[in-house]
Amino acid sequence: MADRLLDYSGLKCPYPILKLSAQYPQFKEGEIVEVIADCPTFEKDIKAWCQKLGKTIINIERREEKIKVTIRI
Amino acid sequence: MSQGIVCTEGCFIKCKNFFCEHGQKLSELLHLCSNVIEKISKGDTRQKIDIKVERYSLQRLIDSINRLSREIEDLINLNHELAIGICEHFDVLRRLQEGDFSAKASEDSPIEIVKMLGELINKLRDRFIDYIDKIKEQHREMVKIYEQERVILSSIGVAILITEEDMTVEFVNEEFERLTGYTKKEVEGKMKWSDFISEDVLDKVVEYHKLRRISPSLAPNQFEIKIKDKSGNIKDALITVAMIPYTKKSIKSIIDITERKKIQEQLLHSQKMEALGVLSGRIAHEYKNILTGVLGFASILNNKIQDENLKKYVQRIVEAGERAKELSNTLLAFSRKEEISVTTKVSLNKFLVHYSDFIKSIIGKDIELKLNLPETEVLYEIEPTHLEVILLNLITNARDAMPEGGEVILSLNEIYLNMDYQYTHPLVKPGDYVVLSVSDTGVGMDEETKQRIFEPFFTTKPKGKGTGLGLSTVYGLVKRYNGHIHVYSELGKGTTFKIYLPQKIKKSINSIDKEKLKGSETLLIVDDDAHVRQYLASFFKEYGYQVYEAENGEKAVEIFKENKDKINLCLVDFVMPKMSGIEVKKVINSINPNTKVAIMSGNPVNLKDFITIEKSISPEEILFKVRTILDEKE
Repeated sequence: MADRLLDYSGLKCPYPILKLSAQYPQFKEGEIVEVIADCPTFEKDIKAWCQKLGKTIINIERREEKIKVTIRI
Repeated sequence: MSQGIVCTEGCFIKCKNFFCEHGQKLSELLHLCSNVIEKISKGDTRQKIDIKVERYSLQRLIDSINRLSREIEDLINLNHELAIGICEHFDVLRRLQEGDFSAKASEDSPIEIVKMLGELINKLRDRFIDYIDKIKEQHREMVKIYEQERVILSSIGVAILITEEDMTVEFVNEEFERLTGYTKKEVEGKMKWSDFISEDVLDKVVEYHKLRRISPSLAPNQFEIKIKDKSGNIKDALITVAMIPYTKKSIKSIIDITERKKIQEQLLHSQKMEALGVLSGRIAHEYKNILTGVLGFASILNNKIQDENLKKYVQRIVEAGERAKELSNTLLAFSRKEEISVTTKVSLNKFLVHYSDFIKSIIGKDIELKLNLPETEVLYEIEPTHLEVILLNLITNARDAMPEGGEVILSLNEIYLNMDYQYTHPLVKPGDYVVLSVSDTGVGMDEETKQRIFEPFFTTKPKGKGTGLGLSTVYGLVKRYNGHIHVYSELGKGTTFKIYLPQKIKKSINSIDKEKLKGSETLLIVDDDAHVRQYLASFFKEYGYQVYEAENGEKAVEIFKENKDKINLCLVDFVMPKMSGIEVKKVINSINPNTKVAIMSGNPVNLKDFITIEKSISPEEILFKVRTILDEKE
């Protein structure tokens, strides 16, 4: 069960990752956050973001055009 | 010719001949093109149309779509690089802002501006860390200094306390605890400074406390008070006060002088005995000379006279002479300590006349002793021996200041000190005073020496010649009569000591009306001593006079030539390098014989046919004298 769910459906990249970055300071360390987006390049962005900021991707789930990425802050 | 090619979506297009493209297959190809464009528009730039057709226009469309896809892919990649770079730097800045200085921005972005931003953030971070390190270092230093000062303040052998504006005690040291018997806990933040002051000096201390916060110069830095300890005992103390910069707090150091006062009493006693010793030695010597004659001739008479009846009388003379001889020996006996209450009304005029006769033999032939006494008799309640001690010390000091000989002037007068005087001399109460002054034409002293002359054991004399207690005894004695001492000295010119002794009955005859001292005339002040010159100039200006200043005779003549019709009075220092005051007067009067010129001197001088002003008199007196000269009373 995620602590937070962020739905960025309908937003084109790189808006979802910029929004995630802007919201990130409110997150607590160790929180589980689920991010949903439907932009085809979002997966690439969130992978790069997690690598740069040292966050862990727990799961990636694709359903039709949508992608749900679960990360640990 | 079959050119069947599979597109990325897996659809199959047949294009065997040119015409078939106008049919169903062309529509399929256009449909494919629209699908690919739509997906590209959604950001999926993986879409490509991998088909070769013969029709040129159609092939151009396919190529354009593929180029567009590549172009958009490049733009999207750039966008993503920028976005990830911003996100990363944003996070680093956030961490730095939260004080996490382990955060470091990456400097490997392929986009130059993002790379530079990373470098800039890291430089900023490094600079910040440097500043913080420096601040930490300074802080450590300050803590060290603070701790050291705390230890010094706590362990120093002087009682220290820091008070707030409302007199609440903020800090006391261990010595203060010992002095008062109160603990830090009982005092700090709970008691007021006034709780430790004896009631008879409380008003004075409170007034100083308030005045000091208006301006530190309004209250003396050092004064004597009486401290009340926990058991109610009163202790004499010497307090030194200073304001703590940028605050309304003051720091006070207190020295218990109860013991010192006792020692001073002893010193005073021994000085008195010393003076009496000199006196009695002198008297004994004179008496013995006389008695030698009396007894000698009586003895001869006794031998010559045969008549037994007459012999009896002669023997009586011899006996009386012997008794007188014994009495003169007893004059050398020790003097006993007496309370100040045993005072007698002394005619100071007569006293000074007699005393000057006595002291003349002590000061030597090279020194001329002059007396400057008022016509009216000045009576003062004082213990005569105290007066002797004061005069003996001042005159012997004057003598020692003139190894080549010179002049000592003993003066006496009465003056009224008004409220204005009290502003510059806070410890002096307004009222009538008897002023006893001793002036010499000796070597004088510098400001530093002048500041210390009343300190016990301070001496400028060679070892063995002076005890350093003479002037402190004078000071102590004058203080015992609630009087004060004013010292005026100029290096190479001489020194004047003025003893102000308060009269018990108030008189206002000598009170000088401030309004009557004002004037609008123009004065030329000539003095090589800048302090004296500027001081006099500012004083005269305050009373409405126009003032010109000159530091030497030449300059004075120059100024006078330019303003000869304006200048009403010239005040010229008596002794100056190059041109003396007398020479300056001659030149000025050769330009304008009607211009008044007064000669100023640090010591009382009496120059025939010259108007003189003594610089050591009070400013009001100088003004009064100037006013008198200008009004042609002198």
